Amino acid sequence: MNCHQCRHTCHPNPSKRRPPWWRWSRKQKLPRSFHLPQALPKIALVGMPNVGKSALFNALTGSYVTVSNYPGTTVEVSQGQTVIGEQVVSVVDTPGMYSLLPITEEEKVARDLLLSTAMNLVIHVVDAKNLGRMLPLTFQLIEAGLPVLLVLNMMDEARHLQIHIQTEPLAAELGIPVLRTIAATNVGIRELKTTIASYVYTPQLSATY
Amino acid sequence: MSTLLSYPQPIEQAVAQIELILAQETERLLPPHLPLSYRSLALLLLQDDRGLWQQLTVSDWAYQQIHAIIENMQQQLGESPVAAIARTRQQTARQLEQSVLSEPATTQITIAERLHQLTVNPLTGFPILLGILYFGIYQFVGQFGAGILVDAIETAFETYVSPVVNHVTAVLFPWQPIQDLIANDYGLITLGIRYAVAIVLPIVATYFLMFSLLEDSGYLPRLSLMLDRLFKIIGLSGRAVIPMVLGLGCDTMATMVTRTLETKRERIIATFLLSLAIPCAAQWGVILGLLSQRPLALLIWAGFITTIFLVMGFLTAQLLPGQKADFFIEVPPLRLPRLKNILLKTYVRMKWYFWEIIPLFLWASVLIWLGRLTGLFELIIQGIQPIALWLGLPAASAPIFLYGFFRRDYGAAGLFDLQQQGALDGVQLLTAAVVLTLFLPCIAQLQIMIKERGWKMTLAMATFIIPFAFVMGYVVQRSIHLLGVNL
Repeated sequence: MNCHQCRHTCHPNPSKRRPPWWRWSRKQKLPRSFHLPQALPKIALVGMPNVGKSALFNALTGSYVTVSNYPGTTVEVSQGQTVIGEQVVSVVDTPGMYSLLPITEEEKVARDLLLSTAMNLVIHVVDAKNLGRMLPLTFQLIEAGLPVLLVLNMMDEARHLQIHIQTEPLAAELGIPVLRTIAATNVGIRELKTTIASYVYTPQLSATY
Repeated sequence: MSTLLSYPQPIEQAVAQIELILAQETERLLPPHLPLSYRSLALLLLQDDRGLWQQLTVSDWAYQQIHAIIENMQQQLGESPVAAIARTRQQTARQLEQSVLSEPATTQITIAERLHQLTVNPLTGFPILLGILYFGIYQFVGQFGAGILVDAIETAFETYVSPVVNHVTAVLFPWQPIQDLIANDYGLITLGIRYAVAIVLPIVATYFLMFSLLEDSGYLPRLSLMLDRLFKIIGLSGRAVIPMVLGLGCDTMATMVTRTLETKRERIIATFLLSLAIPCAAQWGVILGLLSQRPLALLIWAGFITTIFLVMGFLTAQLLPGQKADFFIEVPPLRLPRLKNILLKTYVRMKWYFWEIIPLFLWASVLIWLGRLTGLFELIIQGIQPIALWLGLPAASAPIFLYGFFRRDYGAAGLFDLQQQGALDGVQLLTAAVVLTLFLPCIAQLQIMIKERGWKMTLAMATFIIPFAFVMGYVVQRSIHLLGVNL
């Protein structure tokens, strides 16, 4: 799928949107000569507001999008890249959403992205302290037939409250992989990358290597 | 397909029927390669997902069929499908959670919990808010950022940079107009860069640092809870507190964040108030610096702007039809902010802001230079001068309103310059501060307003705001004179 030509693409088309005249000194994000590989595997980070999607995005891509301690910090989709195995992967951070049925405009941004772009992997990030409240969205993602991976984030805070979660039965019941992370301090990111690898693995690449 | 969830029978039946219709439509009409399963789409349609209806292109036949199925299902179900579906999911989620999760039976009241209570209870919450405003805003941003830092950088710029630039350009370029473009009173470096680096930067940096600290601690959602009732009066909910506080940093950023508001009505009110009565950090920072020697004027300015914020919000809420917004917010735990995240975030915001304003400041310098060269500048200033005089301001203040057209903070910085020359008295400072605060948003904010609210709405707001700002300036000036207050 050609990401720069599809109409409902998640990010602004850099070739079409010229910066306004008073932005002449602003650096172009992507130089003209640099072309994104056409068919990069894509993974999306979705979940309810304030569960640490952006923190996980930063941990995965090594870039920086604003992270705060209140719901609604992210209102637009940001896109970054990371290398998993030998594969360059495009990672997308989304505004928080409570359900696939959007109420506010920022929720609609996230839903429309899932509706328009085929993802190799959808990572549902949840706050481990509030698992029960977050699972309905997991159900909806699974129902939608998306390749879902569940990440229990903020494990440190859950542990502090003496909340223990058995991941194996949870994974078995949901039929998807379940991992634990503390995105703010980069804990569990390596394991996460290993798991992602099996979703974005392209045989041609590693065969030539 | 999913054995995990089974909804009440009428829903399951309707889903199965809609799935069949969607499968038939997929060949011709649906957008191809929809990544979501038919089951999921069918469930969304059952819940009357307007956005999805617009995106799906189905034939009239299918449209009618699906509607008939939904109507039939609703009769059998006897309740809203949204509620029934949500209940099924929540029940399943709770059961699953109970089977995999163990937590202590009793929850002890922690220090964080006590702090939380203190911040949301109006009796203790308002004193805390006042404390934050006094120490964080007035002392740190106003006195330290807009006072000490601005003075230091300004002095350094004026003693070390400006004379050198003036001298070098005078030697390199024998032609006066080119010298004026780069140096002297309105030059690219001596005016544009100086305003950005020496006046705006320290203020914005201290505010963003302060704001990041508040953000990461989790104080803002609690402030939203506390101010919810107050905001209801002006047609908003506590949810709008965060965009408004963000607007005190940068209104452009905040207008973007109005997306988090639930109803269109709320978004319109919030956008309007942001462009009218919420000054950005550069603006109020400069004003704080200007009026810090005159506490009474500062108090009148703050009181007046707050009153306008509340009154105009109330009136807009009365004018705009629509329901009051519901309010619920996730209240995250109070956390000890991480220094690294705060510094990084402040740096990223600073960088963003700086690249946003530098080109504008430079363009403004070029335009002013062109205007002066062609005599247009004098002409416009002569046109503004009557307004300035009407407001009781000296004729020399006319250019700052022209700057204000480019950017509010640019105008505010101009005001700062004027005051340092000792050209304004207390009433005049107050009048100019009021007009510049209410005055039209900067170009970047206008751009975002057009993007988020549409150009018609933006034009309507701008048409109201410009005369309103001047009239309010006049009202303040006259009232002060009539009351005989000495500022």
